[in-house]
Amino acid sequence: MPESLFTALFKYRPIVFENGTFAFEGGPWPAMVFAGLAGAVVLGAMYRRQRDRVGTRMVWTLTGIRVAVLALLLFALLRPALVISRVIPGENFLAVIIDDSRSMQLADEGIQSRGQNAYDAFSPSGEAVEQLGERFTVRHYRFSDVAARMDPGLAPSFQGRSTNIGAALDYVRRDLTGVPLAGMVLVSDGADNADTTVTEPLLQLKSRGIPVYTVGFGEEAFRKDIEVTRIEAPNRVLAGSAFAVDVMIDQRGFDGQTVTLVAEEDGIIAGSRSITFGRGQPGTTARMILVAEAPGTHDYRFSIAPAEDEQVSANNAQSVLLSIEDSRERVLYFEGEPRFEVKFMRQAMTDDPNVHLVVLQRTAENKYLRLGVEDSLELASGFPSTREELFAYRGLILGSVEASYFTHNQLQIIEEFVSQRGGGLMFLGGRASFAEGGYAGTPLENVLPVVLEEPTSSGDFLAEVDILPTASGASHSALQLEASPDASRERWAELPPLTTPNPLYRVKPGASLLLTGRPAEGGDDLVILATQPFGRGRSVALTVQDSWLWQMHADIPLEDLTHERFWRQVSRWLVSSVPDQVSVETPKTQFSPGEPVAIQAEVSDSSYLGINGAEVIATITDPTGAETTVPLEWSVEEDGEYRGTFVPDQLGGYDIRVSAAYGGSDIGTSHTGIRSVDLPTEFFGAERNTGLLRRIAEETGGRFYTRSTLGGIVQDVEFTDSGRTVTETFELWDMPIALLLLLTLLAAEWGVRRRRGLV
Amino acid sequence: MALQPPMAIPAQNRLVDPSVVTELQVHDTMHREFYFTRAIYSDLRARFPSWSVDFPKADRQFLIGLKRLTNIDASGAEHPVRLDDPDLRRFPYLYAVEVGYMSLTPAEREGLRSYLLAGGFLVVDDFWGSWEWFNFQRQIQSVLPEYPVVDIPLDHEVLHVFYDIEEIVQVPNVGQGRAGGPTWEKDGYIPALRGIMNEDGRLLVAIVWNSDLGDAWEWAEDPYYPLRFSNFAYQLGVNLIVYAMSH
Repeated sequence: MPESLFTALFKYRPIVFENGTFAFEGGPWPAMVFAGLAGAVVLGAMYRRQRDRVGTRMVWTLTGIRVAVLALLLFALLRPALVISRVIPGENFLAVIIDDSRSMQLADEGIQSRGQNAYDAFSPSGEAVEQLGERFTVRHYRFSDVAARMDPGLAPSFQGRSTNIGAALDYVRRDLTGVPLAGMVLVSDGADNADTTVTEPLLQLKSRGIPVYTVGFGEEAFRKDIEVTRIEAPNRVLAGSAFAVDVMIDQRGFDGQTVTLVAEEDGIIAGSRSITFGRGQPGTTARMILVAEAPGTHDYRFSIAPAEDEQVSANNAQSVLLSIEDSRERVLYFEGEPRFEVKFMRQAMTDDPNVHLVVLQRTAENKYLRLGVEDSLELASGFPSTREELFAYRGLILGSVEASYFTHNQLQIIEEFVSQRGGGLMFLGGRASFAEGGYAGTPLENVLPVVLEEPTSSGDFLAEVDILPTASGASHSALQLEASPDASRERWAELPPLTTPNPLYRVKPGASLLLTGRPAEGGDDLVILATQPFGRGRSVALTVQDSWLWQMHADIPLEDLTHERFWRQVSRWLVSSVPDQVSVETPKTQFSPGEPVAIQAEVSDSSYLGINGAEVIATITDPTGAETTVPLEWSVEEDGEYRGTFVPDQLGGYDIRVSAAYGGSDIGTSHTGIRSVDLPTEFFGAERNTGLLRRIAEETGGRFYTRSTLGGIVQDVEFTDSGRTVTETFELWDMPIALLLLLTLLAAEWGVRRRRGLV
Repeated sequence: MALQPPMAIPAQNRLVDPSVVTELQVHDTMHREFYFTRAIYSDLRARFPSWSVDFPKADRQFLIGLKRLTNIDASGAEHPVRLDDPDLRRFPYLYAVEVGYMSLTPAEREGLRSYLLAGGFLVVDDFWGSWEWFNFQRQIQSVLPEYPVVDIPLDHEVLHVFYDIEEIVQVPNVGQGRAGGPTWEKDGYIPALRGIMNEDGRLLVAIVWNSDLGDAWEWAEDPYYPLRFSNFAYQLGVNLIVYAMSH
């Protein structure tokens, strides 16, 4: 109901009813209620005598109307009233806090910007402030990321880089401590983008009974806008890897339209794709597959060209920093018997600069062939039996090797290789793999992303399968066989079938099925490639035994690189997010100058157990090449977790290199990068956040207003418990709605009687 | 649901000696990782095909030894395949004998080239002397003209992947071996292990010249055939297969 109509009917503004306490000011109300009840009984008895003449239904109707009239009169005689606190004029302070951030520059409510509209309404010379000034001493503030007192004669510039409403409320509360503060008027679009919530500042205000009256400017939903809301990308990838970036896009007013998403690497176009927005779907996620080429830290920008009639174009692009590593990661492939998979996998990865395949192949009982080892000692006694030895690798591939080959300790450290070290573990199909290899009931069964079925006897099961990517697989970066997803999907459909001796049909809850196999002889689809996160690492099951046919099949041209591409990408994926002994990260990669950067490092020993007493130093190199050091302190919350902070004060790239030492020995180093840029943060999520503004008002006992309803604020701020107040009583018996109701009832009775011919 | 193992020689294969086909009694009903695949190729001989020398007994006896000495999941059955058969590429190990009389057709040349460049591994055995060498060299160079034939040194991995082989022994044919006669034939006095490698150093072709591994496998059970020749033949045969499955 519009507030003006409410006030016309109920005599007072809604805030009086919201904040006031209901009471009866009339005589002894129990006696009057008793008299009213008696009157109702008498009325009922009188009408009952007329039952034969007019009928039972009419008697009840007329009795009901009369009783209602009687009740209304009785209500008025009881003199209902609202008791409410009201400020003493001239003895209280009122804070007017204007949002000075860039989002207030948006002109989405007409010709003028949000900020100008807000300033017009709440400038010191404005009508509202003049009226408020008659009752309060008004203090003016402006805020963006921080708040400050505002020179009444100086209009805000609306140049703040971010909005922190909680900090502003806290600042004003502290600034006006000790004076009778009747309330605060917060003038904002509510587009808060601070890392902290308003919960704590609101609790402080609530506990002190200080109401906040919020006035929202700007449109609650833009009519025409496209916004790149978020980018999900890995922080680091190995050079030569394909990697997936998910770009989250919101749109208003572009249903059914097609736009082009462009990816740029350091300003050079690295890829693009078309996106058609669904009808009635404001949010879309677009995946782009890019290839990491030159090592180093690179800026990836994802943008959509602004449409002509778009209201906000500054939110059409976002950037992330990506570190492309040039390291050579070691992957151990243990094969229980001579298999051609070994030959062709080595062939595929032989000159790979970033993945080094070490092969341990059991060629006879207790006889091993070691390939790609660093020296004569590596794997000299067979498969590793200590954490240190196994954890030196980042990836582990287990071929056709039965579980009984391993000791229980070896099975346990393989499990820990994934769960604690964070390594990537891949199981290959084979006659001694999965259930056929006796892995059910071992520590590795939990690690597997597939559900083991009853084992078949050797040779009982062999399925030739056509392999197809699932929806997840088709968009997975490791499974892109061609430059574009569509071409890749076509390539998968052309590949010759492979075989699996392992009947696996189900993946575990939480696992992802990426490739399925359709048996040539019919039957249920088989799991071919599945993965699941396990502890800090990842497990992968590739259930075929002859991927080498993608190299050797007669249908595969000699120049075809499908097999090479598959194994290079899958092996990179296997080791892509495997941590080092020292790792470092920041919560995001782009910061505004002056915004604190939280550095978090994890430090562990060679068996990947967290070390707490290490000396951990972050060396920060700023854009000019100058270095500063920041000691990182153990967080206490987690073993091996260290934290520190620095503040970038210049625009440009910052390199963060963390080194750790323990007991005088170096443990290792790790690095990451951030960029200090003038971010258009204010134009993301810039629609009016009515929910937040309403919450602030409701939780503190204030009210929320819009540009069209803010006229009532001048009256409403008077009714508060905060500051110096007096208690006033507002009588309700003469509310227009009571008279209206009485007349309506009487008219209704007359109408009923006339219809039945009783008058 | 088991697949039929690929093993049958096409009945219409004009190169197969009918007397040999009747010998094909050993069948493996299971799909295996490894098939001892014997190359069927065209040759200069009019009466019997060179490819089938020692076939199938040598193959079978060698496979018995291979399965006992290693844990390779090998089919126990002989497995001849034509060089122009598109299925050849499904079997990355290939054995050919008596290649001194080889005379490849264009289709066979193309099939063998495609096989080797894709990743296949060819072992040739049992050819002797200068004339047979020159003939084989001419044939193999027509298949892989871009790669030269080189001597395989004794420290090459192929001689150490399973057994450590320190010298190349001349393995005589069964007749000369049983009789204790000379181990050479024709003018092939010096045994040699040669090979063709690609630019990555991967051995595509292993050439056992002036030696007869096939006879040593075929007659390994013969008490009159010297054990040291059979031992060497098995050792080199196993090494070549383990190499083929890992390099």
